[in-house]
Amino acid sequence: MKAFLFPDLGEGLHEAQIVEWHVAEGDEVAADEPLLSVETDKAVTEVPAPWKGRIAKLCAAVGDTIQVGDVVVRYEGDDEVATAAATTGRHRAGPVETAVRPSAATGRVRAMPAVRILAAELGIDLAGIAGSGPDGTVLARDLAGALSRPRRGATDLPSTVPENADDSGWQPLSGVRRSMARNMERSRAEIAPATVHEEADVSAWARRTDVTARLVRALLAGIAAEPALNGWFDAVRGRRLHEALHLGVAVDIADGLVVPVLRDAGAVDARHLRSALDRLVEAARQRSLAPGELAGATMTLTNYGMIAGLHATPVVIPPQIAILGSGRIADRLKPAADGPRAARILPLSLTYDHRCVTGGEAARFLRAVIASLEAAD
Amino acid sequence: MQPNAGRDTVAATFEVRRRQYLDEDGNAVADLPAAARDQTLLRRIYRFMSLSRALDAKFVSLQRTGRSGTYAPAYGQEAVPIGLASAMRETDVLVPSYREGSAQLWRGVEIADLLQYFAGSERGQAWSAPAVRRDLPICITVGNQALHAAGVAAALKYRGEDAAAVCVFGDGATSKGDVYAAINVAGAWALPVVFVVTNNQWAISTPRNRQSAAETLAQKGMAGGIAVLQVDGNDVLAVHDAVSEALARARAGDGATFIECVTYRLQDHNTADDSTRYRDPAEVEQHRARCPLRRLRAYMQLSGMWSDEEEQAMVRQIAQEIDGAVERHLDAAGEGAQAMFDHLHAELPAAYRGQRAEAVRRDHG
Repeated sequence: MKAFLFPDLGEGLHEAQIVEWHVAEGDEVAADEPLLSVETDKAVTEVPAPWKGRIAKLCAAVGDTIQVGDVVVRYEGDDEVATAAATTGRHRAGPVETAVRPSAATGRVRAMPAVRILAAELGIDLAGIAGSGPDGTVLARDLAGALSRPRRGATDLPSTVPENADDSGWQPLSGVRRSMARNMERSRAEIAPATVHEEADVSAWARRTDVTARLVRALLAGIAAEPALNGWFDAVRGRRLHEALHLGVAVDIADGLVVPVLRDAGAVDARHLRSALDRLVEAARQRSLAPGELAGATMTLTNYGMIAGLHATPVVIPPQIAILGSGRIADRLKPAADGPRAARILPLSLTYDHRCVTGGEAARFLRAVIASLEAAD
Repeated sequence: MQPNAGRDTVAATFEVRRRQYLDEDGNAVADLPAAARDQTLLRRIYRFMSLSRALDAKFVSLQRTGRSGTYAPAYGQEAVPIGLASAMRETDVLVPSYREGSAQLWRGVEIADLLQYFAGSERGQAWSAPAVRRDLPICITVGNQALHAAGVAAALKYRGEDAAAVCVFGDGATSKGDVYAAINVAGAWALPVVFVVTNNQWAISTPRNRQSAAETLAQKGMAGGIAVLQVDGNDVLAVHDAVSEALARARAGDGATFIECVTYRLQDHNTADDSTRYRDPAEVEQHRARCPLRRLRAYMQLSGMWSDEEEQAMVRQIAQEIDGAVERHLDAAGEGAQAMFDHLHAELPAAYRGQRAEAVRRDHG
């Protein structure tokens, strides 16, 4: 049976009320002859007959409100055709049942661009959301329920990969890499970093000097000379300096970056410092650190020089305010009164949060660190 | 001016001429131009004006039954698009708004193309007729096309072509900056362009008297130093004659013309409009008597160029022509979403390639 579906008479109309029928069941009508009058929120409009033929059934009565896509009249005849409710695509769609409403089972997420952007910003995957709009369209309000679920991305930022890019080869972030991503992103967003580079002449060191132990000692000396770099800064609460150095030690493991904390480094006996550090590094590699051993650092040391690299711009992890980077020790020629001499040079890179540390404080701290490093064992 | 404002002298004087050949009953009110005796031309003009009116009715019917998108009828103002199209040469460039479908048909666009266009298909503007290959697509945005036309005219002049651009917009568009800018550049560069204002008295719901304090819209062209003329826009002889004259001027290198065609929109602005909400039906009835088709037909019958029998035959022929085009339109296969990319650029910019691929994937996935 031929069905005439109620079309969108205006621009984005959803429904209309039937004011008058101009034909009765059984009437023979010509195409374009007045069929009925409806009142929309814009106008009273006369709707003509789409085809010539005999009217089999009027599917609504005067006063009824009909929705776009509802059957208005059925014509006599065997043709299973229907007009379209929208003007897109084919104008003579197939069987009535499939023509009336777009199928919800296409597997395609329907959402307005604004909702897609909002979902991306919130890290919500639209595919997992049951839309409450027409034909399952995901609306902004549908995103609220999804917010309590774990987020898809590592950080709060939207994806930078085009939505239609090749989706293969991506690895979801592991916990360690995810927390590195979050920490670095936060650092970049929150602090005002400044980095100062210097060199320490460690020619006086004995052959088998423990570099890390010397660096810890030097940091303690630096803090003694300039306490302003050992502590935390919070934009709301202000600055909190610490007497004790709880030193975060950056450890490179296969899963990413781990920074266990050496508690009160100044209180650790020099003879036990090495074994304390070894235990932390080993626990970091084994992923057996207690949660408390990963938190509470007041400053961080990163000794990338064990692998490669002279100077760097280490990243301060808030609320800490300083991180010292130690580069690879290299032999250099150094001018002296009696001509150039070979020297062993340790490059240092100190990054500090300039929101609460002055350049002078940082330089004084660094000077004391160097003085400590340059002393003989 | 205050009496003590100084020694005021006349710096310049202007006048706006109004042209008319036929009165409402088809009687000559002036010596008629040669075109008035060209029976072949007039029969073709009358046929296309009649086609325009019949097609309007079909479009509204298709829209009301979900088989066309929003459509703006030209009912009552057919003399403007056909008057100007009939004055153009094949090599001239038409720069239309959304109410000049009949002018496009005159120049070779097919009825099915217009049906496709207003149903939202990109194919509706992929024309093949030689005369329309350079014509610009329908401009929905009000008044922008005046600048496009100035640009086209600048190109024609630069290339030294013996051709001109004809741009059409409504009374509402004459309040927009784009139109003023186009008038100015057309004057400053003496461009071969004819601006035709279809002053149908209503810019959707804004009446002419609230649109502008200017006595005529034609005088807006004077500010740009170009020729202006007001014509009776329901007198197709006057429109044809005025545009022919302006095109001759443009081709001769004498620059642009701004023509105001005074007509009346007898129907709603478009299928999404209800003009009874803002317009007195008595006003509409008063204008109905000034119908441009009735006027031309009366003249042709008085001159022995047309008969009732010919009228009936033509009406039947037009109905068949439209029905055939509607059949082809409704039978046309759907078009993938990628079509919106395919008809936008000669070469698709890289930024859109991914979107197009996505559209193809969705259509076939």
